[in-house]
Amino acid sequence: MSAPVISLRGLSKRFGPVWANREVDLDLYSGRVHALLGENGAGKSTLMSILAGRYSADNGTVIRHGREVSFNSPAKALDHGVGMVYQRFMLIESMTVAENLALTVGKKYGRQDVDHEIRQTAEQYGLAVDPEKRIFELSMGERQRVEIIKLLMLDAEVLIFDEPTSVLTPPEVDALFVVIDRLRSEGKTIVLITHKLEEVLKLADDISIMRRGRLVISEPIEARQMSRQQLARLMVGRDVVLRVDKKEVAVGETVLALQGFSGDSHVGGPAFTDVTFEIKKGEIFSIIGVAGNGQAGLVSAIAGLTRAEAGTITFAGTTYTAREWGMAGAREIAYVPEDRYHSGSIASMSIADNFGLTRLQAYKTGFAGMLLDREKMAADGSRAIREHNIVVESGEDRAGTLSGGNLQKVILARELTRNAKLFIAEQPTQGLDISATEDIWRVLLECREKAGVLLVTGDLKEVLSLSDRIGVIFNGRLLEVIDAHDSDQVDRVGLLMAGVRS
Amino acid sequence: MIRVEKRKEPLRYQGAVAASSAVVIAFLVGCVIFAGLGVHPLTAYLAMGKGVFSSVDAFSEVLVKATPLIFTGLAVATAASMMLWNIGAEGQLVWGGICAAGTALFLFPGMDAWLVIPLVLAASALGGLVWSLIPALLKAKLKVNEILTTLLLNYVAIIYMEHLFYGPWRDPAGFGFPGTAQIPEAAHLVRFAGTRISLGFPLALLCAVFLFYLLKKSIWGYQVLVIGKEQRAARYAGFNVNGKILTVMALSGAFAGMAGMVEVCGIHYRLQTGLAVGYGYDGIIVAWLAGLNPLAVPITAILLGALFVGGEQLQSVLGLPSSISLILEGALLFGLFAGQALGGYTVTISGRSKVAS
Repeated sequence: MSAPVISLRGLSKRFGPVWANREVDLDLYSGRVHALLGENGAGKSTLMSILAGRYSADNGTVIRHGREVSFNSPAKALDHGVGMVYQRFMLIESMTVAENLALTVGKKYGRQDVDHEIRQTAEQYGLAVDPEKRIFELSMGERQRVEIIKLLMLDAEVLIFDEPTSVLTPPEVDALFVVIDRLRSEGKTIVLITHKLEEVLKLADDISIMRRGRLVISEPIEARQMSRQQLARLMVGRDVVLRVDKKEVAVGETVLALQGFSGDSHVGGPAFTDVTFEIKKGEIFSIIGVAGNGQAGLVSAIAGLTRAEAGTITFAGTTYTAREWGMAGAREIAYVPEDRYHSGSIASMSIADNFGLTRLQAYKTGFAGMLLDREKMAADGSRAIREHNIVVESGEDRAGTLSGGNLQKVILARELTRNAKLFIAEQPTQGLDISATEDIWRVLLECREKAGVLLVTGDLKEVLSLSDRIGVIFNGRLLEVIDAHDSDQVDRVGLLMAGVRS
Repeated sequence: MIRVEKRKEPLRYQGAVAASSAVVIAFLVGCVIFAGLGVHPLTAYLAMGKGVFSSVDAFSEVLVKATPLIFTGLAVATAASMMLWNIGAEGQLVWGGICAAGTALFLFPGMDAWLVIPLVLAASALGGLVWSLIPALLKAKLKVNEILTTLLLNYVAIIYMEHLFYGPWRDPAGFGFPGTAQIPEAAHLVRFAGTRISLGFPLALLCAVFLFYLLKKSIWGYQVLVIGKEQRAARYAGFNVNGKILTVMALSGAFAGMAGMVEVCGIHYRLQTGLAVGYGYDGIIVAWLAGLNPLAVPITAILLGALFVGGEQLQSVLGLPSSISLILEGALLFGLFAGQALGGYTVTISGRSKVAS
């Protein structure tokens, strides 16, 4: 192998008392895809943000072509040919592709040549995109391509992708992999930050695994014939079961039935139209779709937080019109919302206080129920911490200090104690690491023994691991409901998510 | 190399840091102003300190000034617990004063003290409450920004009060001076030990304790704090946000109204110019300097009271304008917000980064 394009030596970075990176040495080579694996909070994104000039390291050096360099801004890093495609795209939605690119590369090419250069770059790397379209008209996959074109037009040699597949449909993922393959054959250096093992096995030439800020291994993937289990073990530091044990549960009465349910989205994204399905006790019914296809508004209306416009909803044997349902007061529905940081919890309040958020009825005391039973709330919080192995110092810790997985367990525990007939879980494992994901899956499977579970997610693997039946939502409509045990049908889910009915 | 970076977690004692930075910045601003006026800053600060601590009488004036400030500070803190800005404590204070004077003068002129005092107090609280409900309703029903409505209603309240004591309520035996007649003695608040400190002061302390426990121990208080910190979480949990806007603003207005009562029944004994001197606005500084903690409100109110009393000394002893204390007050608020903003960053000073492999 030739000399590394870029090397990191002894890189360390601290946030307060926490070491995000600790003496990391890393070599990146041209024409190779380097996968950077690790659980959430292992320090992958921090390390790459340092390389891309967004953070500055406390210690250590970056060596580019044998010379020590220092990047104190993303622009400086790009001067040295290092660029990053972030999870959240850095594009101005109301402007066209060409205008967006002119903003960053205009200086280099001049406004007139940008269009020409876009087309040429797009063609060379197979990144089809229309320069005249405005960003908000583009799919997530197309937006990502714009970001890649941006880096290529700036002559980036090292392209860092932060969780590039998390916002894409399965067909878009395949397309991205083709592009990455092309970039590799053109001699670019690719870094892939991910915690999805399949992607690593499919694409990577070299593999580095981070655990708690340190590099555990860094070597070519052929060096050891690694299986998914081995990789997972290296990431977490202990054995993890990737297949969930799914106990047979007897299906009971219908808990929730929607009939022609339609409404506006009050929470952003498109409306939902004519949705019909039912959920029985003992089953997990999944609604899968790419984010922004009406599922957010649908869930919010089912949970009674916003009002639907048309159709009926039957809950626990009583049928309501859409309007009645929206107006009825507190209901026996447990709900784990997608936004665990701002909706599901209050970051600046303690875990104990967060335990009261949806359960104030249970803590009424004194003066005609006007006082709050803080002791009981704290006791329930502490019990949940024990029962769900939530890693905290005490129930007085502020929710904002918890990791995503621990916070999600707090919210899950709180909603479980409501003993509801219907349990809604919205994107419950988004952004969580393997072990937290498994814990949450286990809880959801247990939950269906006592309730009907509505799982709303964009994660195909999650749906396939947990569901009994799968409804695919696209553009506000439930395209099809598929039996999760019918493997021929299940293969179509990815295409259905992209709106392709065959 | 010096690096400034955003903190991942807020400072543990952010409130205390911000409050002390406010005091330090105000102190430094004062130094510059005194020096500019040709007075040694130390001389000026000593004069202020002497004015406050030289005698029991002097210090008692600090508590006299602090009394309405505690009430308006609590009023602002109540609203701000839910991230509502009540800039209208001034107008609510005025309405509290109008209702207190009106009740004492015209409704129950001949009644005993033990009956009339609670009635006057209730009337003043109600006056402030009703006045604060106007912006509250506009906010809850029409989403009108409460900062503007509360502020503008202050002027309406003050002009209406002036109309009353220049016009229909003017004292017929007052030689044409603007002001109502003196309220009956039964409605005067008890004063302590020959000072001007009245029953209003312990009452203000009691209100601070009440608000503290209300926020900490009641379901209502829990919901208010949640709404203030994370409105999306409150909606998710199904809290009635609009209802809380009304009740929070009502309580806020009631506190401010009581400030008017303690001024009328404890100090002036009549409705006259000098009731609306800005205690409502000062309450904003009191509340935020206290980090919105009701138990800290009396402390910051006393601090601000001392600043005012000390400022008066500058005028009488050194011949400096007493409005310097207003500048220092402004510097306090500025320093507070600067401290809060800067507390969110860390500064690292280090040598050249070294290879550590």
